[in-house]
Amino acid sequence: MKKILVVEDEEGLRLLYDEELKAEGYEVLTARNGREAIQQLEEGKPDLIVLDIVMPVMDGMEALGRIVGKERKIPIILNTSYPGYREDFMSWAADAYVTKSADLTELKEKIRELLEKKGKNR
Amino acid sequence: MMKALAMVLAGGRGERLYPLTRDRAKPAVPFGAIYRIIDFTLSNCIHSEIRRIYALTQYKSTSLHRHIQFGWNILSASLGEFIEAIPAQQRIDEHWYQGTADAFFQNIYTIQQERPDLILILSGDHIYKMDYRKMIDFHVEKEADLTVGAIRMEKRHSREFGVIQVDEGDQVIGFEEKPEEPKTIPGDPEGILASMGVYVFSTEILVRRLIEDARSDSTHDFGKDIIPAMIKKDRVFAFDFRKGDRGGMGYWRDVGTIDAYFGANMDLVSVTPQLNLYDPQWPIFTYQSSDPPAKTVLEEEGRMGTAINSILSNGCIISGGSVKRSVLSPRVVVHSYAEVEDSILLEGVDIGRRAKIRRTIIDKDVQIPPEMRIGYDLDEDAKRFTVTGSGIVVVPKGMRL
Repeated sequence: MKKILVVEDEEGLRLLYDEELKAEGYEVLTARNGREAIQQLEEGKPDLIVLDIVMPVMDGMEALGRIVGKERKIPIILNTSYPGYREDFMSWAADAYVTKSADLTELKEKIRELLEKKGKNR
Repeated sequence: MMKALAMVLAGGRGERLYPLTRDRAKPAVPFGAIYRIIDFTLSNCIHSEIRRIYALTQYKSTSLHRHIQFGWNILSASLGEFIEAIPAQQRIDEHWYQGTADAFFQNIYTIQQERPDLILILSGDHIYKMDYRKMIDFHVEKEADLTVGAIRMEKRHSREFGVIQVDEGDQVIGFEEKPEEPKTIPGDPEGILASMGVYVFSTEILVRRLIEDARSDSTHDFGKDIIPAMIKKDRVFAFDFRKGDRGGMGYWRDVGTIDAYFGANMDLVSVTPQLNLYDPQWPIFTYQSSDPPAKTVLEEEGRMGTAINSILSNGCIISGGSVKRSVLSPRVVVHSYAEVEDSILLEGVDIGRRAKIRRTIIDKDVQIPPEMRIGYDLDEDAKRFTVTGSGIVVVPKGMRL
């Protein structure tokens, strides 16, 4: 079973992602900020990361750099409602960008796409 | 005017310059009596009106940091100008730089702060005088993503360089590190184009390629990974050094080995050196302490304080000894009846009475005892010092004799 790490500070959204992605047949790990995400990356060995940007403790941009430094090839989806992120060079390290929404259709599609691509490259 | 930022790679270990690099990175190795190797690249930047400069350091960087702090405090922060040494900050990840490309990836936030249009990536390891503005104009005119500074070398030296293959329109179509069978210049079967370690990048492309490289299995090296990848998909051009060569002599040296280092220093004491340090429009800046002018004293039979075909720096005293074809850094003292020939004496070296020194590089703060001979019996010298294949002896910094 593929393991997805969802990094999201808002509890309501975290639960929503958790439920919806489990229903899709994924195992789901969650983290509330960048620092927890890095811990989960090491302990939980996820196959893909869904990353929010604006979070307390450590934001998504800083986490993105560190994640890439540790696990060069793990697919990362930036999931954000904050439009200015493209100004940040590090955002270019993400594999996909999804505008945060209660409708997870686009996010699920991207997850499928990236996991398939990752499978092929192995 | 394009907004340019220079990033100088100043972490070179210079293994083949050992023991001169025992305590310092290659760019901090003294050269030409009063300079450090990196001074040439930094001076090029200043004269090219590029005054926002980062030097990325890593290996044995204390000496370099001190030099930049004391010697290069010449720009105006109020005008947005700076020369700053950045140690490996481990900002993105906890490891040391994994390769030259990784050094830049790890400094992506620094680039972001400055938001330049162009980034000059320069090696701090080489000695040359170049007007980078000419290269930037070329880069803009060609609408290039990357422009690589290139110098013609004889084909037989291909194993020492990164060799660039170009088409007739200067576009780069291949790049090989130290090839045995190099691609030669179109219409010049004996010539190759060597990469000088001088690059102009359009910022966005550089950042994208750095990130792609960081996310792939690669050695994270500019020459091995970034450049070949860019040749395949981007507009990469070669800029002929002769079009930006300030000296006009095609002078560019890697001084990567003790022998090359020795030769390049010795060039400076010839009547007309290939490297002209006397161009009033293009001075090489450096750190200089406030030492008194050099002097030569004593005029007795057999005890003449003389220096011929030599460079003497401030603070030197030639007291009844003789110096020929040598390069003396500040505060070198040569005592009575001593003879120094074809040698490089770095700061604070003291040559005792009746000592004889020949074809020797003596690093800082070494006291040569009276009567000692170095460079006359290489088998004997090799027991204590480094002796190169061509017979140059190197006495390491601070060695007690």
